[in-house]
Amino acid sequence: MEIEQTSVSVATSDTNSTSEYLDAEGESEEIHSSENETFYPEEADRGDNEAEQQQHSIILELRDELGTRPQGVTPEPADSNKELAASVESLALSSSTSAKTEDSQSVHQMHLDDDQHDYQHDSVWRGQKKHIFILSEAGKPIYSLHGNEDKLVTLFGVIQALVSFVQLGQDAITSIHAGGIKFAFMQRNSLILVAATRTNMSVQQMQLQLSDVYNQILSTLTYSHMNKIFEKRKNFDLRRLLSGSERLIFNLLANDSSNARVSNNIFTFLTNSIRVFPLTTAVRSQIVSAIQSNCSKIKNLVFAVLIAQNKLIALVRMKKYSIHPADLRLIFNLIECSESFKTSENWTPICLPKFDMNGYLHAHVSYLSDDCQACLLLLSVDRDAFFTLSEAKAKITEKLRKNNCLKAIDDELKQPFNAKLYQQVLGVPELRHFLYKPKNTAQLLCPMLRHPYKAITEFERLEAIYCSLLHRIHNNWRPLKLIYEVKEQEVVLAWATGTYELYAVFEPVVDKATVIKYVDKLIKWIEKEYDVYFIRNHATF
Amino acid sequence: MATRKKSLLKVIILGDSSVGKTSLMNQYVNKRFSNQYKATIGADFCTKEVVVNDRVVTMQIWDTAGQERFQSLGVAFYRGADCCVLVYDVTAPNSFKNLDSWRDEFLIQASPRNPEHFPFVVLGNKVDLDNRQVSTRRAQQWCQSKNDIPYYETSAKEGINVEMAFQTIAKNALDQEADAEVINDFPDQIILNSQNNRPGNQDNCQC
Repeated sequence: MEIEQTSVSVATSDTNSTSEYLDAEGESEEIHSSENETFYPEEADRGDNEAEQQQHSIILELRDELGTRPQGVTPEPADSNKELAASVESLALSSSTSAKTEDSQSVHQMHLDDDQHDYQHDSVWRGQKKHIFILSEAGKPIYSLHGNEDKLVTLFGVIQALVSFVQLGQDAITSIHAGGIKFAFMQRNSLILVAATRTNMSVQQMQLQLSDVYNQILSTLTYSHMNKIFEKRKNFDLRRLLSGSERLIFNLLANDSSNARVSNNIFTFLTNSIRVFPLTTAVRSQIVSAIQSNCSKIKNLVFAVLIAQNKLIALVRMKKYSIHPADLRLIFNLIECSESFKTSENWTPICLPKFDMNGYLHAHVSYLSDDCQACLLLLSVDRDAFFTLSEAKAKITEKLRKNNCLKAIDDELKQPFNAKLYQQVLGVPELRHFLYKPKNTAQLLCPMLRHPYKAITEFERLEAIYCSLLHRIHNNWRPLKLIYEVKEQEVVLAWATGTYELYAVFEPVVDKATVIKYVDKLIKWIEKEYDVYFIRNHATF
Repeated sequence: MATRKKSLLKVIILGDSSVGKTSLMNQYVNKRFSNQYKATIGADFCTKEVVVNDRVVTMQIWDTAGQERFQSLGVAFYRGADCCVLVYDVTAPNSFKNLDSWRDEFLIQASPRNPEHFPFVVLGNKVDLDNRQVSTRRAQQWCQSKNDIPYYETSAKEGINVEMAFQTIAKNALDQEADAEVINDFPDQIILNSQNNRPGNQDNCQC
């Protein structure tokens, strides 16, 4: 495989950033980054890249790709801001479809220019970094992340008008970019979902989040039920059926800095993955076999999922079925925001839309024991299986107590952070944070957030860095394979190989050679410890 | 968790251009009137909270454009309406004649579940003017012939009957909502290996 390498070095007067990019397609690439206004792409050498799949030559490989950089400079027009699906024309439409007559004083309007209007508007509401709106096709409000949706009905009307107007031309609106705010639109079934953000999140990433929210709604109602309702009554007020589940939607959406939350959760959704609870292979396989031996004879049991701290400990599945990360995130979300599960055994219907969007699985949900706060879900299609599953759970717990697995889980839980992983990061003090995701599985490894990213403003920047890196690596039109950027406050690296993706953030003082050395060290360590932090195959009953 | 009994009604105002749709809405929502005429482009939205039968109801009022050139959005706007307000100008006989086509158009485009009993309200506006041309009797007859549509004569300028008309609108729309509680059927049990969950058709990003 021959790869043409193009690196772009940035020359700007106001920042001292340096960036290099490698286009996965091997075509020369015009990249823009928000801080960089002008840059000069250069032709670089062509390198034989067979080492791609081979892990042992990481250093060589990185050096090849980053190392030599010829200095031929070709000026490029400053304006290469090719935003994704920027449908800016749509903006003109907002003024035509929602035009107001002079006297009307609609409470909320989709005015993008903050300074120019006078009605007293809640500045807190307007200043939110992120908004999510969900409405029915009829334009009736269903959910708003911030504010009482009842008070926003005129805004919902405008959204419906915008969407319908574009629909009329046999088209679909995907995004609006205006006034430093991005609006992403998504239409699913009878719902319209809209995200608005001032953050670095790309339209694609916002849509990912919207589809997570949509899945959350399906998880409560099922697709067929919702469809039936809207078929019968287009004017149906869906809030009536969703009341009580708003907390689930909120928790799903409020997992990032826009809600002042400093947590790794946001990265699992950005990478469409889940995290794995670190355990030695011996312990994990004992857990799996305890589940298998007590569940294999139970008919209609589809999944057994054991989780703790928003991480997957073990998953046992019915033959031929696998679980999608989006479904698993719904399960994590449910557990994370249901304190009541801790006190009793529970029997709850849950639809996992990627598994079957038209029906409920019935979940037996309970924590293993008081001294081991791991949560076990046994998901069956049989709505009368409670007692069978309850019995199985008791036996599983008993077995895990006997073979000390409860203790092993609890020990791990009691550590304020994953000690080994943290040591590894400490061993490379300049490595501040990283995301590692193998290509063939939707599992993500990332260390605990630590200084400086414990502070919300710093975390915001980290989030923005990852959003931008992920966006450029996963850009459908021009995916990149390697990004190395020297920013003002950190050095960042993104690297997509045939087997994994790595995003790493370093202290701003490290040089390229050191970064290469550390990345090599990190990758080798992860490979060595792979089975602790990842699950290669999920067992079947 | 059915304690929160919020209600939201989508109300569409239809009628020829310049019969006073926007003025009625403004009078109702903002208690204001302006003699200046400005055509509505596309649609305008207003909201008002009312109390009907001890329930707080949010009215989402869709003020549409009367001018034909802005009507391409009709279908989208009519969809899922809870009540439709037909407005004519008592000094303009043509605007009254056109009520028929506005009503038909709405029923065709919105295709409500029960067209015979869909809640309409007819408003004869501008009764403050001297040159009245459509008699109350004539309007009432038309309304009776259409399944007894409630009829009010209003003046957006003087604020006559506006409040009462909208109260009726809210009430009738709510009555309509009450009859359809067919939402509590539980989805069918999942059947494994069926179309819906055929194994192996999942995309490649499994956990």
